[in-house]
Amino acid sequence: MSLSSILKSAICAVAIAFLSTADAQARLPAIGAIAPDFTLHSNLGKNLKLSEYRGQVVLINFWATWCGPCREELPQLERQRARYQRGGFVLLGVSVDDNPRAAQEMAHRLGVQFPVLFDAGKQVSGRYDIDAMPSTLLIDRGGVVRYLHRGYRSGVEQEYDVKVRELLRQ
Amino acid sequence: MRRAILIGLSVALLSGCARLVPDVKPYEREQLADPIMSFSRDPVSDQYLDHVYDVREGARGATTSQGGGCGCN
Repeated sequence: MSLSSILKSAICAVAIAFLSTADAQARLPAIGAIAPDFTLHSNLGKNLKLSEYRGQVVLINFWATWCGPCREELPQLERQRARYQRGGFVLLGVSVDDNPRAAQEMAHRLGVQFPVLFDAGKQVSGRYDIDAMPSTLLIDRGGVVRYLHRGYRSGVEQEYDVKVRELLRQ
Repeated sequence: MRRAILIGLSVALLSGCARLVPDVKPYEREQLADPIMSFSRDPVSDQYLDHVYDVREGARGATTSQGGGCGCN
């Protein structure tokens, strides 16, 4: 076996090794990309589909009962829903809890009135490559991801406010 | 044949160089975030003792972690 053929094999192997890791990096829906569609069961008793909300500004919040900042954020989001709903704003809370009933009870206790979707299988969280809890996405009327916020700190909702108003005007 | 074996072996070896991906994603930390998973029952008292060890023995760090493991910090 000549040196050049060994070199060729080595390059080939490197290419295969890198290609096999590439798909993990390409999953996150980038800002400016169409938000991947999904259908999840909700606390309204029916399945909700993201693409059915085209034409409205959608805020998706990924949360869990075991996540402290998420519990802090939900009442703030509820306030936003009440404020902007009439302007064509939809808020969807995606719970990543293993137990949907716990999520439902927590949402009820926190006074949440927007639909809570149950992603117990974690497929949607995986598809969106959620790398912090909570994560908040804003999707414009055309279904394009326009804003992504990781985590929650008190006061961040004012930033959401500005973004939502901006998208509602478009 | 030898070439195929060489490529196979190299891929197996090089896969160790792949980007590290944490096995537990933030949205999968439900069990880890459970209070029962915390190392001690009394974190406040632990902080005090850590300080004692810190001063007396120069032993510092690697005793606790921030947050409950939900990946929000």
